[in-house]
Amino acid sequence: MSKLGNRADWADDEEFDDPSALPAQQITTNKDGTKTVVSYRFNDEGKKVKVTRRIKTTVVREHVNPQVAERRSWAKFGLEKGHAPGPSFDTTSVGENIAFRPSINWKIQAQEEEKNPEKGSMKDQLKDKKVKCRICSGEHFTARCPFKDTMAPVDEPAGGAGGVEGGADEGAAAAGGLGATSGSYVPPHLRKGAAGGGERMAGKFEKDDLATLRVTNVSELAEEGELRDLFERFGRVTRVFLARDRETQRAKGFAFISFADRSDAARACEKMDGFGYRHLILRVEFAKRAT
Amino acid sequence: MRPILLAGHERALTQIKFNSDGDLLFSVSKDKIVCAWWSANGERLGTYNGHQGAIWTVDVSPNTVLLATGSADNTVRLWNVKTGECVKVWDFPTAVKRVEFSPDGSRLLAVTEKRMGFLGTIAVLDINYGDNLEDQADEPSLRITCTESKATVAGWSYLGKYIIAGHEDGSVSQYDEKTGEQLENVQAHEFDHQINDIQFSQDRTHFITASKDKSAKLISSRNLAILKTYPADTPLNSATITPKKDYVILGGGQAAMDVTTTSARQGKFEARFYHKVFEDEIGRVRGHFGPLNTVDVHPAGTAYASGGEDGYVRVHHFDKPYFDFMYEVEREQLRK
Repeated sequence: MSKLGNRADWADDEEFDDPSALPAQQITTNKDGTKTVVSYRFNDEGKKVKVTRRIKTTVVREHVNPQVAERRSWAKFGLEKGHAPGPSFDTTSVGENIAFRPSINWKIQAQEEEKNPEKGSMKDQLKDKKVKCRICSGEHFTARCPFKDTMAPVDEPAGGAGGVEGGADEGAAAAGGLGATSGSYVPPHLRKGAAGGGERMAGKFEKDDLATLRVTNVSELAEEGELRDLFERFGRVTRVFLARDRETQRAKGFAFISFADRSDAARACEKMDGFGYRHLILRVEFAKRAT
Repeated sequence: MRPILLAGHERALTQIKFNSDGDLLFSVSKDKIVCAWWSANGERLGTYNGHQGAIWTVDVSPNTVLLATGSADNTVRLWNVKTGECVKVWDFPTAVKRVEFSPDGSRLLAVTEKRMGFLGTIAVLDINYGDNLEDQADEPSLRITCTESKATVAGWSYLGKYIIAGHEDGSVSQYDEKTGEQLENVQAHEFDHQINDIQFSQDRTHFITASKDKSAKLISSRNLAILKTYPADTPLNSATITPKKDYVILGGGQAAMDVTTTSARQGKFEARFYHKVFEDEIGRVRGHFGPLNTVDVHPAGTAYASGGEDGYVRVHHFDKPYFDFMYEVEREQLRK
């Protein structure tokens, strides 16, 4: 500040006059051998920025052929003439890191790698597949099918249908096997190791699946008692279920009849299919497990 | 390893070459410019301007004083490596496809194309390293004419004793360096599958050929015996023998005209590493968008560079796994 004292007028002092002046760069040497450089600059928005850099200098000594060392001092020429030393950004860049480790079974590893992207492109594989309903073969998901509640799937694959004949445990095993072989989705309760059908909702209806008939085209005015009378002729009926509309309490048009004995059910199916009841012709078939 | 990408060329690379100390890398391409690069950091030292046509080939003298290039403008030019000046131009009747300095640097061979009624030749030029580099002989000291099948590539054997040439028909021949007489001719590759590259081992006792027939062969310089075969699944443009580790590097990819119709994955634009002795493929390095036209390895075996049809040169400095890889038998040998 002695400078300031020498001046005749403090207003002449440049530091006060020029707000755009930047303080000089300060370099301090630290105890640990590093240097701290504090410099100021203006950023793109015209704001003053203080930049503090801590620099550690290490000397790397490399022994090279004297000819190589001499070449290091060569000036640039041709298109590079007059350019500053150091790689320029328009000609030199650094690429992505490549992991290269030589190995004898390189091919096998590469093959595995090649397989994986194929699996990943499942979307491409399914690109031109159409959605097909398993109940009515329409172009919608099975879950959206209007006949979802009334009809069983038309061409159920054997593995899935195995549940109807083989009972809960066997059915689960068959479905589990299915899940293991193909890549299709298997719900958790059907997977191998899952506890059969034990945890299923509406389990009480499942028990007598094998002797249950599904009756469709039932009149709206049908009564459970009438149906029981009709079917009891063939054997002991354990359950009659007539689907009804929740609000109107009218029959929805289909019913399930469970027999105690499967042979009775088979006979009933044979005889009652096509039977005229309340001006409608009944269609009777074995019920299929809802999927 | 992180490759250094050198984007100094606008067209396909035709040849790249490290100098004998490995600190400089020279690259030539079809865009008429020769570039010199520092191999350590990829900085461009300069360019050598003057050719009027695509440059097919480059070689640097063993003392890194002179640089020779051969071009489609029917000339071989000699450059002062340090200053970038052209010191000598030799005119030929046809394009020059390959130049190579003899191991002592005193001679330069140039392979000329067969075209316009001229037969393919291998011309040998005497090189003078006096104070005035421009003082060079005008006429070749030896001219070998290939009457049967034109030579596509050529090089010098150990001590410059033979000139070894690869031919368009897939054969390799051995010429006496003094008389130019053909001593041997071996059909090393499938007939009519051109040999695209010949590169020698450091002691020049054997060399590797890369051919269109999708294989590379290791051949003895003395009697042209085929020592090893490295099969690939794509036509090969270049092959090199790595010092320090016993590997070979092959570069190729399907023909440039088919590139746009195949994906990069199928295009096989990879540098393939084979074990030189066991002939097993031990790895590949990806990166280029087009076929690899040329590969060269650092004379110390610490780095390699590849130049592609895509106009890029990629310099790879090997890291530890490359040097650590060993066969079980090699390890046992080491323990003893």
